Amino acid sequence: MIKSRIGLIAAASLAFMMPAISLAEVELVRAYCSGCHHESSPGQFDRISAVRKTPEGWTMTLFRMHQVHGLNLPEDVRDQIVHHLSDAQGLAPSEAATGRFALERRPNVKDIDLGAETNAMCGRCHSIARSALQRRDADEWLKLAHMHLGQWPSLEYQASSRDRPWWTIASTQMPSQLAAQWGLSSVAWTQWKNTPHRSLEGRWVLTSHAAGGLDYYGTMTVKKEPDGSYRAQYELHDSAGSVVHGTSHALVYTGYEWRGTADFDGFPVREVYATNEDGSRLSGRWFDANHPEAGGDTVAIREETSTTILAVSPRALKVGYVGPVTLVGTGLDRSNVATFGPGISVGRVVHGSGTMTVDVRVEDTADVGAHTVTAGAATSTVSVYRRIDSLSISPEFAIARLGGGKTPSVSAQFEALGSIRLPDGTLFPIGPVAATWSTAPFDEEAKKQDDVRFAGSVDEHGQFHPAGAGPNKEREFSGNNVGNLKVIASATESEGAKADAHLIVTVQRWNNTPIY
Amino acid sequence: MRTILRLAGIGFGVLLGMMSQSAIARDLLVTAAKPDKLYVIDAKARKIVGDFHIAGANNHITTVVPSPDGKVAYVLVNRMETIVGIQLKTGREVFRANLSSPGERVKDFFAFTVTPNGKELIAYELPTRLGSSEYQVEEPRFVVFNTKGGTHAKPIRTFPAPRRIGVMLARPNGRSFYAIGFDLYEYNLKTGALMGSRGVMNWQQPAHGQPDLLAFWPVTEPSGAFSSPIYSEIQKDGAGDAVTALMTLDLKTGDLTYRDFEQTTALIFSTVLAPDRKFAYGTYTTLTKVDVAAGKLAKRVNNDHTYYSINIASDGSEVYAGGAMCDIAIYDAGTLDKKGDIELPGCADQALATLRVVHSR
Ligand code: HEC
Ligand code: HEC
Repeated sequence: MIKSRIGLIAAASLAFMMPAISLAEVELVRAYCSGCHHESSPGQFDRISAVRKTPEGWTMTLFRMHQVHGLNLPEDVRDQIVHHLSDAQGLAPSEAATGRFALERRPNVKDIDLGAETNAMCGRCHSIARSALQRRDADEWLKLAHMHLGQWPSLEYQASSRDRPWWTIASTQMPSQLAAQWGLSSVAWTQWKNTPHRSLEGRWVLTSHAAGGLDYYGTMTVKKEPDGSYRAQYELHDSAGSVVHGTSHALVYTGYEWRGTADFDGFPVREVYATNEDGSRLSGRWFDANHPEAGGDTVAIREETSTTILAVSPRALKVGYVGPVTLVGTGLDRSNVATFGPGISVGRVVHGSGTMTVDVRVEDTADVGAHTVTAGAATSTVSVYRRIDSLSISPEFAIARLGGGKTPSVSAQFEALGSIRLPDGTLFPIGPVAATWSTAPFDEEAKKQDDVRFAGSVDEHGQFHPAGAGPNKEREFSGNNVGNLKVIASATESEGAKADAHLIVTVQRWNNTPIY
Repeated sequence: MRTILRLAGIGFGVLLGMMSQSAIARDLLVTAAKPDKLYVIDAKARKIVGDFHIAGANNHITTVVPSPDGKVAYVLVNRMETIVGIQLKTGREVFRANLSSPGERVKDFFAFTVTPNGKELIAYELPTRLGSSEYQVEEPRFVVFNTKGGTHAKPIRTFPAPRRIGVMLARPNGRSFYAIGFDLYEYNLKTGALMGSRGVMNWQQPAHGQPDLLAFWPVTEPSGAFSSPIYSEIQKDGAGDAVTALMTLDLKTGDLTYRDFEQTTALIFSTVLAPDRKFAYGTYTTLTKVDVAAGKLAKRVNNDHTYYSINIASDGSEVYAGGAMCDIAIYDAGTLDKKGDIELPGCADQALATLRVVHSR
């Protein structure tokens, strides 16, 4: 009781500190929500005003308001309400940091670990990150628990719930535990709310890496639209030498959450990026609009940043290499000289937008390992190697899902990471390397069931493509095309450097929510 | 005498038919299927003799409980919110209880039972109060209906219940019923008083860890005992060894037994005891025969597909596997050889329906 009163006071004082919110937007909440969510004082709506969430979090809640509670919300109104609530009751950048991987839809990452008990209570149906991306006091965490069991009465009968008094724990211990960790009010949020945020307009230099694939680099020109959204124009090269053009239309929530709908030469892409607190850097993950598991990482900095090397491509040079190396960064056109350390001679320099391409020769005398790269005042590193001594695969464990009907399959992207042995005997990582890929049964049972034949196949880029779902008459009990596999990589350049990862090919996931 | 009088109104042909049926006792299989079907099957004839519609099933059917006299089947439908009683001869709806009411949504998680005299039906309720902007999970309860309550039946008694009950079984003495959840509870039918509880999750099986029981199939025919697989681990050299035990509960004597019969090699959803209780049969992807007295796996064969719900002929001669899909597979109880298959019209999906055997005379 006392706890919930404190919660209310905190909510009220928080509201007071918020900068004036456009009346029109409160009007929308009043019009569409107050029928069920009582407006206890002007602009304060039951439940709604007592929680903070990410744009995806608000979107998911509104989806439930529609699907379960029958709220009819025109799309443009929904977008406005999500935008308004994310701005007025969002998360500060530091608060969203731990759960960002879920917003970015990163596949096969380890979830936040709250200990075995809480992980089983709250992390078996969806990520713990889903909770970590919300802020609310104990009374609201309790109401969320009521929603769970009220909405899914089967919950306490399911495996990993029926072995414990789920409801007793969820309704007594969990609310205060979660509130202590993720309570409604915070200094970070108060400060973020009261700081004006920098416009993202201008030119940016960016670099990007597609997992298992190419590097991209170049510039991004961002303009603000009258409605407050942004349009970006990309002028990029990939590490295979092709030119790539792209455009994006992005909404920026809470002053830093970039959500772009982009198109790269006809290929539809979603961008989930965030700026750092001073708005000088934009980073995050992009992914295939139809296959969120396939994507890459981007980092962009403002063009006016003092001379900086953001990336070196290729990142690792083999002894004897003769050819171009591209430095990606800012202020590089102010310099006509780049150095790569002893044993790497430098030739012609060509400037591009956001790039400086240097012809190099890696002499036989070059030491293997890290070499410092300089261009003007900026430094970075490049690796030199003779052969790949050891290989590892990222991720070491992955899940792929069968597709079928209206549910798309979920592939699994692997990447081979090379290491070399330094003269002192230590292993030194040189990043992604080319590999040939194959699969093998993970264990005896997988061998017996011939999973390799049924579950799908891995392509030359390390992407595993699962088979179709549904009963397969050729399998025991007309089983699904599930599988338990080893995914094996062998370094293309160095025979003998091999690694394997564990892949489970399992059934479809029925609901693909914005925050897994 | 009164029976004769009542029958007098019925056509002569029907009367004759009934008389000829009553000459030989026979097993009727009762199962339900999506979207809203109740089927009655003459087991030996392999023939569907009843194909009935359950109004308001809402494409969701689960537990089937026959009345002790075998005349009515009560079926939990409508996403576990409605129990409907259907007369097996005519398909006529004779009972309906809507558990939910405006502002309160109630789910019955599979569990309900009918008293031995057929007069009362006891259901398990998980209520949620639906506020305008929040849900409130309420305490579970048992509710008792008069089976003569008609098609708008209202509870005549209500008492508190524990959470997570999945099976309810009336005892033949007519005074109490069992409820199985975290533990095995026994309640007084009149007063709702808890008469005792015995460990299920907290069983005292030497060397065994906490067991896992997933029991939603309240089958006690023909033996008068409930049975279910129950899984646990035996700690050996620091590692857990999964074992499957058979749980049996004699409704008359109250005897509760757990007996390991194999290191877990197959998952079993439901089991049934033979009339003499010498063997038990279980189903999921395999058909399993357990030697009860010896505590050993007697035989196992692969099913053609998964079946959730199992039952057995009253004379113990053949085993029936249903649930999950649209057919009932028939096996020889001795050899486990497949003897036949009954497909439901239009390949109706039995999903989680209980397969029941009614011995009709
Ligand atoms: C038809 C009634 C109805 C309308 C209209 C409605 N809601 Fe809700 N809302 C509910 C109910 C019932 C709950 C509690 C159950 C739940 O969480 O689903 C709820 C819960 C919520 C919660 C708390 C969920 C949580 O735990 O984080 C939020 C936030 C919310 N609604 C936002 C809104 C917003 C914003 C609108 C208007 C755009 C809206 N609702 C319109 C019925 C409604
Ligand atoms: C049985 C599976 C299950 C378990 C266990 C579970 N959740 Fe959820 N949770 C869900 C589903 C499904 C949703 C999506 C609700 C919707 O449709 O919006 C959800 C939604 C949520 C949301 C987002 C709600 C909103 O409106 O923003 C949060 C936060 C959350 N869960 C936290 C928790 C916590 C904390 C626990 C442990 C006490 C927990 N969950 C346990 C299934 C589960």
